[in-house]
Formats: sequence, C-alpha cells, structure tokens
Amino acid sequence: MKVAINALHNAQGAPSGTGAPGAAERRPPISQRWRGSRNLLPALLFLGLFFFAPLVGLLLRGVLEPEPGLGNYAQLFANSAYARVLFNTFSVAGLVTLISVLLGFPLAWAITLVPKGWGRWLLNIVLLSMWTSLLARTYSWLVLLQSSGVINKALMAMGIIDAPLEMVHNLTGVVIGMSYIMIPFIVLPLQATMHAIDPMVLQAGSICGASPWTNFWKVFLPLCRSGLFSGALMVFVMSLGYYVTPALLGGAQNMMLPEFIIQQVQSFLNWGLASAAAALLVVITLVLFYLYLKLQPESPVGNAR
Amino acid sequence: MSAVIKDDTRNQTLVSLRGLNKHYGDFTAVDNLDLEIQDGEFLTFLGSSGSGKSTTLSMLAGFETPSSGEILVDGQSLVSVPPHKRDIGMVFQRYSLFPHLNVRDNIGFPLAIRKLGADETRKRVEAMLKLVRLEPFAHRKPSQMSGGQQQRVAIARALVYEPRILLMDEPLGALDKKLREDLQDELRQLHRRLGITIVYVTHDQEEAMRLSQRIAIFSHGRIVGLGTGYDLYQNPPNAFVASFLGNSNFLRFTASGNGAGHFEGQPVTVRLTPGLANGQEALIMVRPEKALALTVEQAAREPLPAGWNEVTATVAELLFLGESQTCHVVTQGGTALTVKALSAAGMPMQPGDQVRVRWAVADACIYTDWAESDLSKGAGAH
Repeated sequence: MKVAINALHNAQGAPSGTGAPGAAERRPPISQRWRGSRNLLPALLFLGLFFFAPLVGLLLRGVLEPEPGLGNYAQLFANSAYARVLFNTFSVAGLVTLISVLLGFPLAWAITLVPKGWGRWLLNIVLLSMWTSLLARTYSWLVLLQSSGVINKALMAMGIIDAPLEMVHNLTGVVIGMSYIMIPFIVLPLQATMHAIDPMVLQAGSICGASPWTNFWKVFLPLCRSGLFSGALMVFVMSLGYYVTPALLGGAQNMMLPEFIIQQVQSFLNWGLASAAAALLVVITLVLFYLYLKLQPESPVGNAR
Repeated sequence: MSAVIKDDTRNQTLVSLRGLNKHYGDFTAVDNLDLEIQDGEFLTFLGSSGSGKSTTLSMLAGFETPSSGEILVDGQSLVSVPPHKRDIGMVFQRYSLFPHLNVRDNIGFPLAIRKLGADETRKRVEAMLKLVRLEPFAHRKPSQMSGGQQQRVAIARALVYEPRILLMDEPLGALDKKLREDLQDELRQLHRRLGITIVYVTHDQEEAMRLSQRIAIFSHGRIVGLGTGYDLYQNPPNAFVASFLGNSNFLRFTASGNGAGHFEGQPVTVRLTPGLANGQEALIMVRPEKALALTVEQAAREPLPAGWNEVTATVAELLFLGESQTCHVVTQGGTALTVKALSAAGMPMQPGDQVRVRWAVADACIYTDWAESDLSKGAGAH
C-alpha cells in the first residue's frame, strides 16, 4: 500500500519538480520522448500476462455469459435492488472520504506542527494501526459498537441514551469502521505535502496582511491541495472496492458492490453479472483517476497553461 | 564608492527600539537593545550568524515577541500588534513566494487581502512589474523563474502595498556574486527613488557598505557599532568593530605620558586619548592600507616625516592579489602585521628582509579597553 501512496504522490509531484520553464509549450519530438522504451518490455510483459489478460477475460465474461450482449449491464441498472447496491456503494465511499478528510487533515497538521520526536511518534501510531491485521481491527469495532458493547454501555450509563444504538450490521457501522481504516491513507500523503510547505511562505502571507484565517484559506489550503486530492481519491477508490469491513460490520440488506460481486459468484455462480459489476467498478475508478489528473495542473493530461 | 546620501531634511525617528530583550531559555539572543531608525534611511544590521540581527528583524516583523522592551513606530507601541496588522513589508532570504500563484497574483496578493478594487489592483501590479522589470514574466509560476527574478518578485510583493518600512532578511544571500552586485545597485536606486525606510540584514560587510546609509554592527545580541560605513571603518568605536570590519593590525603598547609610549621597546607616538594612564597597556589599530613597508635602503633615503611612527620587522610573506599586494611581517616581539599597497606602488622586498613599517599617528586608533576575543575575526557569534 505504501508503494501505491508513493506512486500516487509521485504522479503529481515529479512533473512539478522538473517543471522547466515552458515545458508545456515545446515538447521534444515523439521519437525522442519514447527513446529507451524498450527497457519497459519485461515490465509490460509481466503486467500483460498477469494483469491485463485476466482483466480482459473478466470483461469478456461480462458481455459473453450467460449469452452474448449487454444484458448483464441492463440488468444491473434496471433492477432496483442492484441500483440500491450502487447507491449504497457510492454514498458510503463518499461519506467515508468526507469523514477521513475531516479527521485526517487536523491529524496530519498536528503531526507536521508538533516537535519532531512527537511527530514521529504520532506517525508511527498511524502506521501501526495500518499494519495491524485488518480482521482484528474490524472485529474490535464490532466489539466496541455492538448493542452490549463499550460505547453503548457508556452512553447508557451516562444517561445520554435509554436504549442501545444500532451501530453495527448497518451502514453506520460500515462508515465508522471504514473511516477508521482509511484515515492513514489520507494522513500519509497529506502529511508529506504539509511537511514540504515552507513555513516562511506562511510568514510571508501574514506580513503581506493575511490574518491567520485568510492565510489558512488562501495560502495553506491551496498548498495542501495536491496531497488532499491524492489522499481523498485513494480513499474514495479504495472504499468503492472494500470488502472485509462492509462484510463484517454491514448488514445483509444493505450490501455494497464488492459484497454483491462475491455473492453473485459464490452463491449464484452468476459470473456474467459479477463481471459486469466488477467492470463497472474498474470504469468508475478509471474515470475518477482521469478527473484527478485533469485537476492537477502539473499532470501530463492537465490543463497546461 | 560610498552610498551615503547627505539629506538632512528627513531626520525624524520612525522606529524606536527601547531596551529590547529576547531570551530563549538561558540563551540571550538580543540583549537590551536600543536603536532609533530614521524615517527614510537605509539601515543595515551587520553581524555574523547568531549575533541577534535576524532575531531583532523578526521582532520588528512580529514573528517573535520580545521578552521585554518596546518597539515604537511613530510613538505607537507595536509589540502586541500581530504581523498582519503591522503594515510592514518584508523580503525573505529564500524568496518565500506563494508557489501556487503566478507572478502577477503573487504581487497582487497583499492588495487582494486588502480588498482593493480590480482596476486599482491591476494598475498597481502593472506599476510594480515595471519597477522590477518583470513584465514579460507576469504569467510565470515562481518555480519557472531564476533566483534573481524570484527575489525581484518578492521585492515587488513587499512594496506593492506601499509600506513605510521594508525589512530585508539577507535577501541576496542565495544568489551568485555577479547577480548580487546587480541587485544591490538596483536596490540602492529603488531606495533613492521611493524614499522608503529599509532595514536590511546581512553578514556581508561589502554589501552593507555598498547599500546602506548607516550600519549597525551586532555582536552577542548587542549593537557594538552604529554609524556610516565610512565612520565605522575609519574610526571604529572599539576593537571588535575594528577587527570585524575589514582587516586590521593590532599593536600592544605601554603608554608613557601624554600621547607617547613604547611598543616592544621602540618608542611610538599616539594620538591624545582620554583615559590613557601612564604605564597602561593599550592597543594601536592600523589598517593594512594605511601602513607602509619600506626596505632599509628606502627608509634611509626617506626620512621619517613628522607625525609618523616607525617599527622594525622581518618580512614573512609577500602576496600578489591583482590590483593590490600584501606584505606579512613579524616584529621582533612576534607581533604579526599586514601591510597592503596598490600593485602599482611596488614592494621591492623579499621574505626574510628587514623592513621598516611606518604609519601616521592620525591614522591609528587607540583602544584602552578590549577583550582578547575581540581581536580574532568573526567573533560576533555566541
């Protein structure tokens, strides 16, 4: 996962670093730009064999089984139960992204601001939570959130609620559990971005007349943008395809897309519909990634001015 | 060439620092500092790193709060005013431009904060772009510009809202020598044209001399010398300033009577100095270019003029430096002296030769009170 973060980060970090003046205006000829691409062959071969071939196979199943055509896709959008699954998936992913941004931003900021040793401790705690077994962490939320769990008991003891809140086996539980799991993925890129911001730039902002509030909105936040975007995109995309936590903390009636895919494959052996749903997930992710690159001014497909 | 402008019409105090202190735990960064900054002057804080000059500047800008003391601008206390309300311009060492904004928006930022109208903003930004000669680069991002260009943007950003005081924290330190000299000339002209008060921090004494009307020399959190570059160089107020600014020769002598004494057994005449008691140890300071080295034959040919001193020494080393030449000599008592002369004048001696070192009494400064550490170069830091 760390690799993925770095890759994402480099995707928008590297071009700005080498941002030679007028790089966008005069590109070298195409033959020169692709020089040395032969060295890519082994990697391409590996990816083609073990990634693209199975992917294409999956996509083909979506249009070939049980009979050739787009029937599976039609079914996916026409059936209200399936549409509900799509809606659940997007609303949970959106909510999880929002919550982890709202919680992760102050956390990343705190890690950047506190004295160095403390910052490393905080970061290690974040990383440690990421390295602990996913199952263990999800089950602990089950223990915490269930009706006889610590949270409900504490709230009832304090007299805030009379009856236990239903916080598991529904989407509330899924959102809580997944937000917790996703926070490191927003904190890491965001912290890296914040760390790279020169504090003198903020001092320059304030001597130019910006109050702390204006300075935050007009200088600090725009400078965090790349980290915020890459973190949020990663969280959103990962949330779309997350299986374990929704399966454990969610309910049977409020399914998300990955659960739906597994159910189709394992219970109904309906490979066609499952493939169509998986293909949908892939397409959505690709579209989001393209939009993200578009919004990053330094990226190769961005609106170069 | 001196940058001093004699302009007596503006001699009002704009900023007063009174009893300013800054402590970090046990460490005293700024030690009971008093300073009056005149309206419209170019004042430079000169000192080695850790001498308290940047801390003083930070307190002026409002990034550091004084432990005690007052900062007054036009008689109003500034200590509890946050930086964004001080209306002071500042140029930072590493430019500190806003990387997400282009040049035009960087310069327009302070005006946008002040909610100036679009027309007025455009007019002022254009004027600033013209002033720093960056009109063709208005749409560039800071990362697409050279260091010198970025620093010019930073200067424009600091001037666009017409602050009365401009602070500059080693703004040219990161640039190469040629560019630095060009920008120094630009800055001096800018100051002359705008009549703004500039407080400039540097550790480069040549830069300080080139730019400023007055120089404040910092050491251990105190100002140990304040005046024009000319005065500080020709008549350093103390041995530290003498040793810090330029090169200097120090001769220890024992005073005997009024204006006279003995240096390593040889009689010397010194200028009349108050507080110089009979038998007291004191220092003579002679600038290398004010001293002359003569071979024994030359000395025999040219008698010692009235009001000059002469001591004997042995040549240790001769150095040719292009337009000038230096001669390192050692006296019988082991005092090392340097004599500097223009190459055109010539130095006919060889290492090992006996020479006579001469200097005019009027060119030598006398110090009765000094610390041993003052005499070594770069002793300003903690």
